[in-house]
Amino acid sequence: MRLIKLKYTKWYNIMKQGLSESNPIAIAVLGICSALAVTNRVENAIAMGLGVTFVIIASSATISLMRNFIPSKVRMVTYMVVISTYVIAVQMFLEAFYSDIATALGAYVGLIITNCIVMGRAEAYAVKNPVHYSIIDGLANGLGYTYVLVVVAIIREMLAFGTILNYQVLPDTWENWVVMAMAPGGFFILGMFIWLIRELTKNYEVVN
Amino acid sequence: MRKYFETIRFVVILGLFTSTILLGMEYITNKKIEAVIAARFKQSVLEAHSLSYTQNNVNDIYEAEITELDLEDVTFYVSNTTGNITFEFSGGGVWGPISGIITLDSNFELIVNIIVLVQEETPGLGGIVAEDQYLETFVGKSMLPSIDIIKDAITLENNQVDSITGATKTSDAFETILNTTYSTYKTIWDNQ
Repeated sequence: MRLIKLKYTKWYNIMKQGLSESNPIAIAVLGICSALAVTNRVENAIAMGLGVTFVIIASSATISLMRNFIPSKVRMVTYMVVISTYVIAVQMFLEAFYSDIATALGAYVGLIITNCIVMGRAEAYAVKNPVHYSIIDGLANGLGYTYVLVVVAIIREMLAFGTILNYQVLPDTWENWVVMAMAPGGFFILGMFIWLIRELTKNYEVVN
Repeated sequence: MRKYFETIRFVVILGLFTSTILLGMEYITNKKIEAVIAARFKQSVLEAHSLSYTQNNVNDIYEAEITELDLEDVTFYVSNTTGNITFEFSGGGVWGPISGIITLDSNFELIVNIIVLVQEETPGLGGIVAEDQYLETFVGKSMLPSIDIIKDAITLENNQVDSITGATKTSDAFETILNTTYSTYKTIWDNQ
């Protein structure tokens, strides 16, 4: 397999890429299925974000360590096996120590396996770069995913239930916006957020 | 040829590596997960008997309010206050198992509560079998001579419940599970 080495840069530039310039949700629009599903509560968004961050870091580190030994024919299968292993580990950890959150997240923890961000970072970065850069890249993308989820969840939970992390923040007279607890509310807030991030980072799609 | 052996060697090493991680996690979390499942079951039994609890006092309330009766390898969960009896049911649905707990009055006849804990039916159709709104239609109904889940009923007898619209097979399966479990458990209960 011919590997293309990327031009190495300072760690904070890799972080900046993941958090804003190449944010997996706002710019690449990857992994939005789970982002829409779990952002009606902030605690769910935090748990999902941390779970995905751990899986990206662990799988990127593992793929990077193995990169010189992975036969090109079984490259994608290797990613899937490694990612699945870490996702099942996260699932077991949540079920054992945070069972309420595991119940609330339901099938979405298992579906981290299909989250394009994880596989995307393995193929686009980890398989071509040393382990320490891959870990930073995984952390940057995981945190980029997490903070978008948390911001969207704060807005949705506040409007849908009048609370943030189950603490009442709006007056009792607040009329709950039920639509914000449902997927259409997620689409609306996520769409607004993507627009905001693209505006701030001047990331416009060019029509040829 | 050498390439094939290298690929096979890599796959074997990868398998060993990932299996080690999973077995390690299994070892760390296994007992904790079993405890969580047991606690969740106790919570369901307390809910079935309309007993309030918090996460911290589940075990205390359970021990004070519920007596476990083991008869012929079957466990009955009897309320110390009302005498209502809870037991587990399970059986095959359309797409997978349906299991849960049913609570009857102290005469072992009228349904007080049904909670479905596990089901894999079609969401929005057969999946309604686990929804509170549907299960509430069973409350107060008689298990004698048998519970009948029927279609398009105009009037319902005391042992009849409406079937789930668009999910006749799930309704039939649920009816069979409840009646089979009841007849078996009724014999055991009467023989005590």
